[in-house]
Amino acid sequence: MLLLIAPAALLLVLFQVVPIVIGANASFRDWTLNNPKKTWVGFEHYISVITDPAFVQVALPNTFLFMFASVTGALVIGLALAVLLNRGFHGQKLVQTVLLLPLMVAPVIAAIMVRWMFNDQFGIVNVILEAIGLEGQPWMAQRWSAFGVIVLTDVWLWTPWFTLLLLAGLQSLPKEPFEAAAIDGTTPLRVFRYLTLPMLRPVIVVCVVIRSIDAFRTFDIVWTLTGGGPARSTELFSLYAYVDAFLKLDFGRGSAAAIIGGLIILVVGVVLYRLVDRVVRA
Amino acid sequence: MGMVLQPMFVRMAPGARQAFFAFALIGVCLLFAFPVLWLILTSFRPESGVYYVHRGTEFTFGNFAAVLRNERIIEAFVNSAVIATLATVFSLMVTVSSGYMLSRFRGPFARTWFGTIYVFRCVPYISWVLPLYFVTQSWGIYDTYIGLLLPHIAVHICFFSWLMKGFFDGIDPSMEYAALIDGCTRWGAFLRVALPSAIPAISALAVLCWLFTWNEFLFALILTGERTPVITVVMAQFVSEMGLQWNLMSATAVMALVPAFALTLFGQKYIVRGLKI
Repeated sequence: MLLLIAPAALLLVLFQVVPIVIGANASFRDWTLNNPKKTWVGFEHYISVITDPAFVQVALPNTFLFMFASVTGALVIGLALAVLLNRGFHGQKLVQTVLLLPLMVAPVIAAIMVRWMFNDQFGIVNVILEAIGLEGQPWMAQRWSAFGVIVLTDVWLWTPWFTLLLLAGLQSLPKEPFEAAAIDGTTPLRVFRYLTLPMLRPVIVVCVVIRSIDAFRTFDIVWTLTGGGPARSTELFSLYAYVDAFLKLDFGRGSAAAIIGGLIILVVGVVLYRLVDRVVRA
Repeated sequence: MGMVLQPMFVRMAPGARQAFFAFALIGVCLLFAFPVLWLILTSFRPESGVYYVHRGTEFTFGNFAAVLRNERIIEAFVNSAVIATLATVFSLMVTVSSGYMLSRFRGPFARTWFGTIYVFRCVPYISWVLPLYFVTQSWGIYDTYIGLLLPHIAVHICFFSWLMKGFFDGIDPSMEYAALIDGCTRWGAFLRVALPSAIPAISALAVLCWLFTWNEFLFALILTGERTPVITVVMAQFVSEMGLQWNLMSATAVMALVPAFALTLFGQKYIVRGLKI
């Protein structure tokens, strides 16, 4: 039994546990290039991060807002599509293949694509807006439009994932309650509200938990779309930590920021896991 | 009450309803496909036409030729392919046994392992990839295949063990018990009975694993440098370096999409099944 997990456990220790311990150690030290002694500074970095307005008032709220908006958006659209696809029709396979498209696009490529489409001078979005008589926007130069574009990209990337999982869930539901509802002449809206949604709840909750945890640590699309700009206003916590460690070369403070984020998502993860457990058992 | 709440399309004639349904679907497909189609269209436009992609009829393969002449991009493509393939093989080898253990064994030990995996799945990548930079440097594997490969396998352990557990849960263990009674060892039961029945699920995971590694960005960004360029990082650098050459940018992105696209079409049936948790 031990042998079965030995390789996995060894890799986990070497490449996750060891780095995390080193990172934790670094977060208590003045680990900058001009200080080879790496002086112990205690909680100084932690205090400096949690009192930094750029972290508490920008990066952290951005992270939660991004997590909420992106997961909600992808869930709602994904669920609608799953219900639509579940009706069965000609060409369903084709639609499913198209929906698989975003799943194979690397987040970096998606970000490049979207950046090109939202380019303020030549992007197709502004071209269309101007063609119908509206004013083109410098999308990436304003905080909330840039943030909106980031969320939109993430929703585009992850809606298909929700659709596929929820469709699988829908197809495994028992037929009888739906037949009974059809005989009683129940409206589709009520069927959805009182039958589909409650029966699909466990699948929905599992999807939401997994996606939320992943959305919390998003890095690639934000980095490629805005780089955290304009003026660090669209930074998520992972970008904040990266900028500290690799652009400002203050590795100790970057580690402290990364660990604070890690602790927050750990709490969120445990709470969500409890929630799933209760829902699945109920 | 039902009458009042009925949405518009329920009251439409059946023909109109079907048309509405078809239009909605076509609209959705267009929305999801458009960004990719637009990228492909841009990649075939000459430099002069790239700023007016929607106008003009000139098309060229010149962008792809230009990209193929760039040695760094070619090197990055090769590196990404090698790393993705090796990571797939090794990740599956490691996680198949770990998932089997999670599925077949009970007790505090298995529970602890499951808890560990769940916790480590939640750890944000940034929290361990930052110090990993120093770890790989002090072990002398920074900016090498090994230095990117091993962390990648470690990333996959948690999620894939979890998925593998699900696969094995779906396989009836009574065959293995029969094998055990017939004198097979526990390893024999695993390798000869359980493993062959899990092959379809494992193929799904192989496709997913390859895609994940091919598309991964943050690890590659931090753990590679000049010697081992990887395609996602090279592309992201282009955005800032060749900021205005969107035709070349698009051509590179389209080329990076092709292997992923081919693999997904090839394994579509497995992927849809494998994505189910």
